[in-house]
Amino acid sequence: MSWAASAPPGIQQPAAAYYSQPSNAAYTAVPLRQGFSQAYQAQTQYSYTAPANPPPPATTVPTATASDQQSQKIEWPQSVRDYVQRTFQKSSDIVGISGAEVQAKLKDVIRYTQDCGIMHTTDWSQMPSPQQMIQAERQQALMASISSPAAPDHTATAKAKVNPKKRKSTDLNEPDQLGSTVPWRSTKDLSLEDRISKPATDMRSLMDGPLPAKSKSQKNAEKRQRRGDGGYQSSYRSPSPPPLKGPIVGLNEKLEKKFFRLTAAPKAQDVRPERILHQTLDMLKKKWRKEGNYNFICDQFKSLRQDLTVQHIRNEFTVSVYEIHARIALEKGDLGEYNQCQTQLRALYMAGIKGNSIEFKAYRILYFIHTANRTALNDAIADLTTAEKEEQPVKHALNVRSALALGNYHKFFQLYLDVPNMGAYLMDMFVKRERLAALANMCKAFKPDLKLRYITEELAFESDAESAQFIIDYDQDLLLEREDHIVFLTGKAGQRFEEARGEAFRRVDLKGQI
Amino acid sequence: MDSLIKEFNAAYAAMKGDQLAETIHPDIERYSHKLRAIWDRGDLRSTTADLNFLFYQDKSHANLSKAEATGWFEIYLTYWKAVGEILAAEGLRGNVKGSWTQVYVKWKELTLLIIRGYSHYEFENWTIPCLYVAGKYLRLYAMRADAEKSSSNDDTAMTGFQDDFDPEAEENKQLEDCARHLNRIFQICLTDRAPLEESRKWGVYYAINLLFKTYFKLNSEPLSKNVLKAISAGRSDIPLIDKFPKSQQVTFKYYEGVLSFLEENYVEAEKHLTMAWLMCHRDAQRNLELILTYLIPCHLLTTHTLPSAQLLEPFPRLQKLFIPLANAIKGADLRAFDHALRDGEDEFIKRRIYLTLERGRDIALRNLLRKVFVAGGFEESKDGAPPVRRTRIPIAEFTAAIKISSGEDIDADEVECLMANMIYKNLMKGYIAHERGFVVLSKNGAFPGTNV
Amino acid sequence: MAVPSSDKAATTSEAKPEQKDAQQQQKKSAAALEEDDEFEDFPVEDWPAEETEAATTTTGGNGTTKHLWEESWDDDDTSDDFSAQLREELKKVEASKRR
Repeated sequence: MSWAASAPPGIQQPAAAYYSQPSNAAYTAVPLRQGFSQAYQAQTQYSYTAPANPPPPATTVPTATASDQQSQKIEWPQSVRDYVQRTFQKSSDIVGISGAEVQAKLKDVIRYTQDCGIMHTTDWSQMPSPQQMIQAERQQALMASISSPAAPDHTATAKAKVNPKKRKSTDLNEPDQLGSTVPWRSTKDLSLEDRISKPATDMRSLMDGPLPAKSKSQKNAEKRQRRGDGGYQSSYRSPSPPPLKGPIVGLNEKLEKKFFRLTAAPKAQDVRPERILHQTLDMLKKKWRKEGNYNFICDQFKSLRQDLTVQHIRNEFTVSVYEIHARIALEKGDLGEYNQCQTQLRALYMAGIKGNSIEFKAYRILYFIHTANRTALNDAIADLTTAEKEEQPVKHALNVRSALALGNYHKFFQLYLDVPNMGAYLMDMFVKRERLAALANMCKAFKPDLKLRYITEELAFESDAESAQFIIDYDQDLLLEREDHIVFLTGKAGQRFEEARGEAFRRVDLKGQI
Repeated sequence: MDSLIKEFNAAYAAMKGDQLAETIHPDIERYSHKLRAIWDRGDLRSTTADLNFLFYQDKSHANLSKAEATGWFEIYLTYWKAVGEILAAEGLRGNVKGSWTQVYVKWKELTLLIIRGYSHYEFENWTIPCLYVAGKYLRLYAMRADAEKSSSNDDTAMTGFQDDFDPEAEENKQLEDCARHLNRIFQICLTDRAPLEESRKWGVYYAINLLFKTYFKLNSEPLSKNVLKAISAGRSDIPLIDKFPKSQQVTFKYYEGVLSFLEENYVEAEKHLTMAWLMCHRDAQRNLELILTYLIPCHLLTTHTLPSAQLLEPFPRLQKLFIPLANAIKGADLRAFDHALRDGEDEFIKRRIYLTLERGRDIALRNLLRKVFVAGGFEESKDGAPPVRRTRIPIAEFTAAIKISSGEDIDADEVECLMANMIYKNLMKGYIAHERGFVVLSKNGAFPGTNV
Repeated sequence: MAVPSSDKAATTSEAKPEQKDAQQQQKKSAAALEEDDEFEDFPVEDWPAEETEAATTTTGGNGTTKHLWEESWDDDDTSDDFSAQLREELKKVEASKRR
């Protein structure tokens, strides 16, 4: 019988319910907060409802066949000729863009639509002029040069202070918070560094002071454990449609777009060009911070990724899209999407495209610890250079790994209290089983008993109440009150935790694993 | 073609599978002359005509059934085409440019025709060495085709509309394709229901070994496990492994052992690897070395033993790999252990033994704690009773010892954690009295297996 | 950007040196895991028991059994040194406690 099930909601003296027997009501040495019961009630609720399945595939659009393309090669349609004419009108000129550049770009555009067989289907009246394209490219290059140096740690927001153990996706890598459109501000704003959240609060001070409500991290972890994959696992990869001759050129100027799984080549007018996608990403970041509607955000990111894929856009912008989606998915425990992003990121980094590769390599290691995939873990380590191994996030992840390999739970839980970036979301996934392993271990080695406080500290529980609850969930008769403290009866508990440990390691949750 | 078919007839008449397989051998180094001669003899038309005559009209050859003749006719015609591609890929056809991808495609055709021979054209089981040659070179050409592709550096990864695929998988495209066909070879051997003496089941282990090599290269151990499952289910009707040639036994046991090793099933791994080791040809130094690469870490974890100097003597590479670690473990020197592990890290990771060797630190630690115990000496013996070692040892002594050995500071909580591990793993017997700050060790065998 | 072809040209020319590097590195690490780790084909299919490693193990040249594995612990004669060192370290610990 668990405490959560028996406790009436909003109980004023939760200490009475600490053990289910009322005779134990005297256990007031460790005061329990109301958050305790609430947190456990939260177990029965799901954080968000299951999302709709991906919408049905878009109706197929016949593409121009190869023979069509050939016959069209010779003659341009009127719409193209109009476009060319417009390009060379005086009113189209933009200062600083030479005629030669314009001509080259114009050629590219036309040849491109021709190669793709979309010259006739393209709405040329809506096509931006070559001058506009060049201008947009330049701006984009400028923006990239400003936003890339922003290391994730420099942009932690005040939010992180609420739960210092854990950063959120919104805390990370938000160049727009640095005013990235204005180059001269970027250096000045580095003083934001001062606002970096302080490292994890010392556990001991936490326990001596008032006991906080169950941490967000814990709640999330439990939610994730109960929820499984969260329903976001994407459908299995369907057989791909035949490959395109070349990348498509997008003409869609709308920022938002619902995700549809493609079964045939997309229409140019449905696909957004990179220039628009940049704006889309900014919009999504803002919406995520403001509304936090993961259903919506995930869907939008998928369509954003699709537009990048069909246009063969593989640059630092692509990397940032995958990184941001990966972080959000991680925060929401959506391992399916998280893994898709990680797979693509790995390839992008390998292709030499810059991003926060250290952060994501560290996640990768933590993830394989979670799935207990030794081969993948070995390969992930093999991929690291000596320099990367010295980088803090990677070093942390490697230390987590070796602590676990050697059964050093002491070190492991210290590392758990101080995780770089968003690694805590990953560690939450296996911290429970490691607590069981540690308890099984301690039960065999420590006799005849241990102070509960020692367990709380060694296994990084947030309070004695939390560690007590953890133990009670397995067996109610393992704790005993002494004059001024509670002890954990190690001699009695060994069998119970050995079983629980075995159970927990047998069913490592592999959902969403590729 | 004439002489080729003569060889074919001779092999067929004698029912010599190995000899038959030689006739479709594509090894350019071994058969440079022969392959060129085959190709230079004529064009497609004349070759077809030749083969037509030899298989359908010439009655001088061995007792081929009509179905068999059809099968072999197609095989040799395709072999001829494949030889053309091979010569082109090797740059031996003047200005005709070839590629390994094209070789692979043709050789695959040949392989499928041979498989078809068993399913459709009544081929007998003694001919299975032909399957071996086909499978062996199919794998080789697939790898060459993949290598050729990745060096030509084309942007093949981005051809779809979705991004939920693994771009890395594209790198081994042909080898993945090859694995499917090797699996068909395996299946056609495994599922033969003929009586054992005429069964293709004798081809099972050769096929499995090819699959293992391929799956290992594709980093796909789960698929290897599937193969093992397939034969364990039908094991009763596959001949016992010790009836197979030693080359097949040793290769199979090696891969079976490494698979167990990667699953951390060290007891099983040790069993298989030991068999592979004992049966391996004494001159196959490289293979012996590979077996030991996994067997040594196994021994460390299962029996806590180290390789002797005698064992390592013929293998300088293994000496470099293991001796520093072994010395550190023996000397209970944690710092030396950590250094040796770090120094060898790249190599250990590459061999996939790092995660196993790392656990050797437990043994080094056990030896260190044992030293503390031994240094503690004996209790005052009462009335001439045999002396008893001091079994209550303050945590502080262990803490001091670990500091000396590791050269790093460590707090009492972590020391207790490490000691708890020793107890949990049965490397040390006793218990920790946390509140009182000491360890109580067992009076009999505090450190099992080490004489104290 | 609206025209990926030019875009692509821009990024590839930019990323080329690194890309090459990364690819080489990748090949290195991928190859590293595989290269010469493959069990070699034996030049002959079968061999008699006398030619196995087991035969050389049991009769290590002079007819004695080869000694292949040894204990991982050592009762070295320096245990006195160790206890001296240990006492020294313990004194240090005590001293620092009193301070």
